[in-house]
Amino acid sequence: MRARNLIAALVLGTAIAAGLALALRNAGEQATPVASTMLPAGNELPDFTLTDHAGTTVDRTVFAGQWDMVFFGFTNCPDICPATMTVLGQARRELAAEGRQPLPRVVLVSVDPERDTPEAMARYIGYFGDGGLGLTGDIEEIRKLTGALGIFFQKAGADGSNYGVDHSTVVLVIDPRGRLKALFSAPHRVENFVHDLPLITASE
Amino acid sequence: MRLLIALAVFAAATGCEGQTGPPVVAANVVVTGPAAQAPMAAGYLDISNRSGEDIRITRVSSPEYESVEIHETVVEDDIARMRRIPALEIRNGETAVFERGGKHLMLIEPVGTPGQITLNFYSDDVLLLSVGTEFTAAMD
Repeated sequence: MRARNLIAALVLGTAIAAGLALALRNAGEQATPVASTMLPAGNELPDFTLTDHAGTTVDRTVFAGQWDMVFFGFTNCPDICPATMTVLGQARRELAAEGRQPLPRVVLVSVDPERDTPEAMARYIGYFGDGGLGLTGDIEEIRKLTGALGIFFQKAGADGSNYGVDHSTVVLVIDPRGRLKALFSAPHRVENFVHDLPLITASE
Repeated sequence: MRLLIALAVFAAATGCEGQTGPPVVAANVVVTGPAAQAPMAAGYLDISNRSGEDIRITRVSSPEYESVEIHETVVEDDIARMRRIPALEIRNGETAVFERGGKHLMLIEPVGTPGQITLNFYSDDVLLLSVGTEFTAAMD
């Protein structure tokens, strides 16, 4: 009888230990970003003057007051750009469905201002959900922003109006004080943004 | 849920003797973009070559688009570079996979507002494959 009790106690103890270990491991997973790199220094954005998709002239303060997920692409990009914008839009919708706050805004900065007029940006941004922001403008002004953020872009395969633009695929997270807080590298997945964004926005 | 419909899959006289089924077969066909009227859309599919010999796709066309080109996106060090592939060789028995972030069809300038889309793959003037699908908005 005593041996049976001992075995039962051992089994129960093992189960409790395993449960605790699993809970601790899950807690660790929850608290650690899985796909983003946090930038604790919070680099500030440079001064620039661009035009938003509504045709309004904006400066660096356009990034103040809300969290932003910022991608650099172009509306004539058929592959990576719509795929990334779809991921960002879907991640935002899933966070909203979970009742998460704050909800980061989706921002597209054009690396092809030659073709990306504010009207083209407005149409494009609208395809991927509500509340997005498109920025375009003078290429030198765009370079002020991309240069400070380490974003690469370069026109490629020029063939009249049918050309491509090589560009960085990272998604930057900007905090409500207009500081770079984190970045996501490709490949981009909805679940990674849904997991990491609450951790990033809680870090302010 | 994307709705993919292969309307037609057929091939020209490149099939090998005694073989059953079409010599060039498409699967997982989708044409997607922000919207049907957007200036660019992307096409994705798998093309399997069961013809008994190597094939070379030199031209793609669609009645619903001004032009169609084969491109490839390569992402290295977080930079996406897209390049045109002038001709695509598919060895006998192999499958060419067109997928996001890799090889894809670039559909340029829609003629009207495409709903059903036909894609025709040629080797010089020989029609190798014709497939149909519905346009899918990127949000779906």
